[in-house]
Amino acid sequence: MTSAVSPSHADANESKAFSQKWISLAGNGGTMAKSNHICIMFAAYSPAWSSQSMRKGIGQHMVTLPKVNELGFFELRLESIGGLGANLAGKMLAEAGVMGAGLNGVSFSSYGSEKKGSPVKAHIRFCDINVLIRDTSPVERPHVIGIFHENLSRTVNVISGMYEDSIVLVNSKKSPEELKSLLKLKSGTIAVVDATGIALEENNRVNMAMLGGLFRLCDFLDPEFMKGVIRKSLEKKYPLAVQPALSTFERGYQEVHFQSFELPEGDTMPSFVRMDTPVLGYETQPLGGLIVNPGNSILKDLSISRAGRLPHFAEEKCIHCAACDNVCPDFCFVWDEQPDKKGRPQMFLQGIDYQYCKGCLKCVQACPTDALSSELEVDGYADGHRTPHRFRLAT
Amino acid sequence: MAIDYRKEQGLQGTVEQRVVYESGNEMAAYAAHQINYHIMGYFPISPSTEVAQFLDLMKANGQHDIVLIPADGEHGSAGVCYGASTGGGRVFNATSANGYLYMLEQMPVQSGTRFPMVMNLVCRSVSGPLDIHGDHSDLYFALNTGWPIVLCRDPQAVYDMNIIALKLAEDPEVRLPVLVASDGYFTSHQKRRVMTFAKREDVHAFVGEKPPEGFAHVLDRDNPITVGPYMNEPDYINNCYQQSMAMYRAEGVYDRIRQEYAALTGRDYPVLDLYRMEDAEAAVFLLNSSAEIVKDVVDQLREQGVKAGAISPNLIRPFPAKAIAEALKGVKAVTIGDRADSYGGHGGNMTIEVKAALQTYGNTETLVVSRIYGLGGKDFYAEDGFKLFEYAIEAAEKGFVEKPFDYHGHTPGDPAKAPKRVLEPMRYEDLKTGLITVTPDETTGKVNVRVPPLRALTKKPKRIAPGHGACPGCGIFSGLELFFKGIEGDIVALFQTGCAMVVTTGYPYSAHKATYIHNLFQNGAATLSGVVEMFHERKRRGELDHLGLKDDFTFVMITGDGGMDIGMGPAIGAALRGHRMIILEYDNEGYMNTGAQLSYSTPLGHRTSTSNVGKAQTGKVFHHKDTAQIMAATNIPYVFTGSEAFAPDLLRKAAKAQWYAQNVGLVYGKILITCPLNWLSEDKDGSTIIDYAVNTCFFPLYEVERGLTNITYNPEEKGKRVPMLEWLKLMGKTRHLAKPENAELLQEFEAEIERRWNMLKAKHESPYL
Repeated sequence: MTSAVSPSHADANESKAFSQKWISLAGNGGTMAKSNHICIMFAAYSPAWSSQSMRKGIGQHMVTLPKVNELGFFELRLESIGGLGANLAGKMLAEAGVMGAGLNGVSFSSYGSEKKGSPVKAHIRFCDINVLIRDTSPVERPHVIGIFHENLSRTVNVISGMYEDSIVLVNSKKSPEELKSLLKLKSGTIAVVDATGIALEENNRVNMAMLGGLFRLCDFLDPEFMKGVIRKSLEKKYPLAVQPALSTFERGYQEVHFQSFELPEGDTMPSFVRMDTPVLGYETQPLGGLIVNPGNSILKDLSISRAGRLPHFAEEKCIHCAACDNVCPDFCFVWDEQPDKKGRPQMFLQGIDYQYCKGCLKCVQACPTDALSSELEVDGYADGHRTPHRFRLAT
Repeated sequence: MAIDYRKEQGLQGTVEQRVVYESGNEMAAYAAHQINYHIMGYFPISPSTEVAQFLDLMKANGQHDIVLIPADGEHGSAGVCYGASTGGGRVFNATSANGYLYMLEQMPVQSGTRFPMVMNLVCRSVSGPLDIHGDHSDLYFALNTGWPIVLCRDPQAVYDMNIIALKLAEDPEVRLPVLVASDGYFTSHQKRRVMTFAKREDVHAFVGEKPPEGFAHVLDRDNPITVGPYMNEPDYINNCYQQSMAMYRAEGVYDRIRQEYAALTGRDYPVLDLYRMEDAEAAVFLLNSSAEIVKDVVDQLREQGVKAGAISPNLIRPFPAKAIAEALKGVKAVTIGDRADSYGGHGGNMTIEVKAALQTYGNTETLVVSRIYGLGGKDFYAEDGFKLFEYAIEAAEKGFVEKPFDYHGHTPGDPAKAPKRVLEPMRYEDLKTGLITVTPDETTGKVNVRVPPLRALTKKPKRIAPGHGACPGCGIFSGLELFFKGIEGDIVALFQTGCAMVVTTGYPYSAHKATYIHNLFQNGAATLSGVVEMFHERKRRGELDHLGLKDDFTFVMITGDGGMDIGMGPAIGAALRGHRMIILEYDNEGYMNTGAQLSYSTPLGHRTSTSNVGKAQTGKVFHHKDTAQIMAATNIPYVFTGSEAFAPDLLRKAAKAQWYAQNVGLVYGKILITCPLNWLSEDKDGSTIIDYAVNTCFFPLYEVERGLTNITYNPEEKGKRVPMLEWLKLMGKTRHLAKPENAELLQEFEAEIERRWNMLKAKHESPYL
């Protein structure tokens, strides 16, 4: 049992104290359904944890933040997808600062109505222990941005509000140069870590590798403190899980590589748009919150919800039984009426509209033949093999 | 940057304390567990739900003795708490928003009969289009309930006020229930450093280990009492006067308690929190979390030479009118920010009350600007604080208020981005395929159904569009669409609050191609019955003729996420009245939209966030609700169970359901669906898990047609029955049931399933059962 990689509540509550937090790393970050939040509290309440933090936090390891804004804050924003564990990584990072490095801090997530697989943000502020934290607004001007899924930039302005010299950590196999153009980044430092690759190799979680990378960027935090927490939380119940978690964290820390980009002369950083800026307003919203263009959810792209795998469709093996269509939660199967061998009209499966596929793979399970198979998602495959729905669009 | 003025005041405290790093909800729970209340009656609603979750987790680990009672709705939870408080012990609750309003009528009962308790109101918007984020619209409803109200601006205050509140409630001079209000998400979900009492004994030393003696309760046989008599005029006004006096006394009592608390802990919560108000000429008045943010603004304005100050009460019931009037003496203009409107009142409630305070105490100088801000969780940034000060400064300079009342933070929107139809409406002829036939059988009184292969029905447009935001592998939508495949023609759907509603209608998007209505999940059945009857009556009057409807709509109410708990009454009411509609429940065995709390359909021993597994508790402690049998007992014409794992079976039942709902009366159906996120199962296994649930006989597939029970799939006859554990092993929420130490619990669960299955078989055999 590799507890740190399993999204298993079953293990979470049996192990006391901090391991609960640890295991729930697999959890459902930053969404309305926050079942895994229940795992958090004992960490801080466990006497061992607080005595440790008191000892280490006050006095002994006073640290200086590399830079602060006008209110005295060093700010981080994590951009992720529900399920990747960014929310919890953010909390652990914040706790390491507050309980481990003697800083004052605050951490929270943005809570949307949507669930696992949807974009989420985690916000962290650090300041000197004597600075009061009053601000509850989201981090709009981050010094560090952690991007847990590079494709997020397709639908979210992940680098919104960054400073000229902010650091952007991206989970990616791409080069900093490639990412610079993908993110439309003008200046600053791109830090890259292949967190997904590391996690797969170490049989652990993406957020552990990202956390390692973030610790590297936040050199005022003590990675040994974090490792101590990891070890302590797992060694009793899940001794076999300690090493993979430590290795993933360590590799995340070590394998980050950086490249800085100067702001071209005469250019300026884009100004940020407040996160709470709506598309509609009181002059354009239909009365009473009515939605008068229902079905407009077809405009959304949900491909970032996929966690690495997607179904492939082999038409020649398909018997068009509709078993896939019966179980698909996201209505991705595209059908067309065509004459069968005897010339009678019959429905034939044409393919998959990957724009909506979240990669649950229920269809693969349901398929009675080998027409559907579960495959690792390769960059560009979904766009290249997509069979788009033919909606009756209003003109 | 802001420096801790508390430290500057040199307050240290005498009690041993410990630092934690936690959120407001965690601190409410933490205080409650230290107090070790007797009873908590609760019902999940965001953002307060976590309070019960944390307490349940601690309970599972044996850290407190509070009896946690999951009620059937907030009204029920208030009843549980009221009853418990008449028993003389300590009672706790936490709620938010619509949940608070649902229990509202119980609030004056609790205060008017003078039984103390403490409830956390984790403030959230009360709204039509469903907003689950924070504002004070629920809090403002509390102003007239007769409960003292203390406010908490950060997680530290949530902890402290929860301890102060109990002492205030139980004070002989007060004897009232107390509301502890904090800001949803801003305070409830943001983690901060919080100082706590290191030892429970010290908490008890402050609040008293037990409730104070000498007050009547209902559990003393030698001193019988009558609680809540029938009291009209001329007596009732005197009861109110007593209550009013107690409420005003609460200000002084609070002031004494907070000083005792400050001496103990070093943290002081004066009735009014005044920030740099000594010589302030422009001020901003706010409640709770934003009142903290605005202090940063005050500091910055002061640096610019502006005499700015911030004022915010820690207690709003009783309202510290005199103190506020005094604090505003010398202030040229104040902007009062209300985080909820009192529509038509020319200001939110705080504006109105502050103005009244100024008038009462003879302050005719201070100009008042009223602004509604931050509704529904709209963030409050420092720049908003500057704006609020600008209004006051401008009024002070001009000597009058140009715009006494307005909103702040609303946006007109760009006409170019106004909503435009994206999809054409579905064509009736595409929905009416003619592939499904339903014919009544004169001899049996039942109906015969013919359905085509599912392949043929892929031609029928889906009623829900792709692009909804459900989790990967969510069983709701495959289940619903499979059901809809069996429905010919047009539907009007009503979704009760729940995951299916939330993930399909995130504004400004909607995944519903057909007409859709949402209402809160206690009231969907009543609401849809109104729609149904309006349709038939308008049709009868000929008012719909011009629309050229080719057929009657099929009206379908979708419920799930525990909606048949809180909505049971209205569902039974609609069933008894016999409206021509379908109630379809997707049973995901919990309140999944609020974070996987137990619902009454959660089976025995299953883990949820309010039925944790630990050394002192092993999952849910009572059996799952048999909703299909309850609905069958209302003698409606058709009841069924179904699942996507048995597609043709569900399709036939959908067709029958439509026929009965269009021709006879109300139909109830339940489909079991997988929630991979909260069942802790693999996304891909959804259908398999349901298949096992059917084949264990946990979820038998059957129908009750005109009172006759018919098992439509019998795993025993097919030789497919599997042991319970084969199913339970597929889900993280039940894996613990395979452990030897839980054998007895598993046995109890199996025995109940067997009993219900045998009962069903007997009903299948006999037309009289």
